[in-house]
Amino acid sequence: MPGIINSAPDCITHAEGGEKYAEDGADFILQANYGDCAGIMTFGPGSTYGEDGSGAETLYYILTWLGIVVMLVALVAWVVYENRRLIAASVGFTGDSPAGGPPPQPGGVGDSR
Amino acid sequence: MITSLLAQVQSLKEAGSAAGQTQDSLVIGEQFYFFTVVLMWLIHAGFMSYETGIARKKNALATAMKNILTIAVVTPSFYYFGWWIYNCNQPGLPIGPNSTDLTAAACQGGIPWSDAFGPNLGNNINLIFFLAFLLFSWTTASIMSGAIIERARLTAYLVLAVILGSVVWILDAAWGWSAGGWLTLRFGFHDSIASGVVHGVAGAFTLGVLFNLGPRIGKYTREGLARQFRPHNLHMTLLGLMLIFTGFYAFYGACLVISSTAFPGWANIYLSPTTLGSITMVITMGFAGGFTGGYFASRGDPFWTVSGGLAGVISVSAGADIYAPTLAYLLAMAGAAMAVYAGTWIEKSMRVDDAVGAVAVHGVMGFLGLLYVGIFAAGYPTGVNNVDSSIGGQLIGMATFLPLGFLSGWVSSFVLKKLGILRVPPEVELMGLDVAEYEPNLYLPEAAVVTEQLVEPDGTPVDAAIVLQTARDEVVV
Repeated sequence: MPGIINSAPDCITHAEGGEKYAEDGADFILQANYGDCAGIMTFGPGSTYGEDGSGAETLYYILTWLGIVVMLVALVAWVVYENRRLIAASVGFTGDSPAGGPPPQPGGVGDSR
Repeated sequence: MITSLLAQVQSLKEAGSAAGQTQDSLVIGEQFYFFTVVLMWLIHAGFMSYETGIARKKNALATAMKNILTIAVVTPSFYYFGWWIYNCNQPGLPIGPNSTDLTAAACQGGIPWSDAFGPNLGNNINLIFFLAFLLFSWTTASIMSGAIIERARLTAYLVLAVILGSVVWILDAAWGWSAGGWLTLRFGFHDSIASGVVHGVAGAFTLGVLFNLGPRIGKYTREGLARQFRPHNLHMTLLGLMLIFTGFYAFYGACLVISSTAFPGWANIYLSPTTLGSITMVITMGFAGGFTGGYFASRGDPFWTVSGGLAGVISVSAGADIYAPTLAYLLAMAGAAMAVYAGTWIEKSMRVDDAVGAVAVHGVMGFLGLLYVGIFAAGYPTGVNNVDSSIGGQLIGMATFLPLGFLSGWVSSFVLKKLGILRVPPEVELMGLDVAEYEPNLYLPEAAVVTEQLVEPDGTPVDAAIVLQTARDEVVV
């Protein structure tokens, strides 16, 4: 039973019960149960490969765009977070911060302030 | 009747054999690119060690983290739109004259929801080939990273890395590093292992960024003479370069197209024939010539001797598929010597603070490599149209790539500068980025006992604290 995304496309042959469906020993598993799956995305089932590549299901588009949005949001959040951190550190180094900032470092400005 | 049946059976056998052979070829190709991807990680381990060793102790952790996080931003951005740029812009820009057909199958193959660009049991090659290009993208972004250490913000670098690694270089690759690129098809532009496409463009982009970023505090005296900051671990830097060199063999291999069922089994990115042995010989002779040229030009300076190896290889990469080994040896030697002089000139005459010499080693050598092909390999047919390589075609490529790289770097860093997010505050720069960005008491207990020194232009080592504080005050005033 698929959860959010059906990653088992219809091309896979399912065998009921405990009987062995096919003898794959000689030719590896692709020769039997997955034989109809050539050209099908194994995740996000779509159309047969080759027809402009536009066969992905709606959910796959949504998943992809979700990734793009998360990537962009993460980058912006990263910039904002670092900016705040640097400003706080800068204030701390100049002695204006109540917290006082990190300890002075020999070799840097800490020696001479 | 029997004869006919036997003929049919024979025909089926041959068809089956051909199909099996093709499948074998695809699987061999898949394995080949997979291992190049794995080995190219060494380039990034190398960049990290190289730049971290060059950095002063107070910036070592920030420098290393920057290299590692390149992977965090360039990977998704190259997946989501970098590959589309490559596949969709080869004949020209998407809009305007010579625009590509946005609905073409090849163009669609670059979009991240395409069947051709997903896990697909019927396609062994596309994803692994994309991953090889992704590693090229990391490399391109990392070329810029070393030049801007010790004063650029981590996130400024990450934004610039996305622009360079997932947009700029892959656009020039579409134009001049593909079988369908307009520079290839019309002008016979030849840059087989990416001298200009990767290194030249990254160097030009870096120069544009450095113009806006400015030098590290205290790098130049009031009179404009260059001081030297002492690398905190030169051994680590040299080891990093050796790791880069090792990974470069995989980079070279990944620039070829494998076709094990067709003569001679290998082609360059333009689908012109070559062999793996040819390019491997050139890179090896390039290192030999580069080390030699770097050593003598720098009078035995270890940094420039080893960087000379890289510079030499970059200068012969564009023609690596066709150069004779001796030609590669000599050209690399000359190139490495030029890189030393170019690096010194950029630092002392242009007063551009490039912490690792990236503009000279990658930028200048990258474009020199393009020029070398026009001089020493003119007439060699390039690409599926077999257009002769020529000095004119190479110059057209250079005239395209140089402004593309430089202007994109300059404009993007200018925007970041105007937004106030390009450079760390001066207090942080003096104290060290590690203390500001990371937990000093947890990760940096040794930083508290390090006394920083720098070397004045006359060669005198001095305590850095007072010099840097004075320089900082001058900057702020």
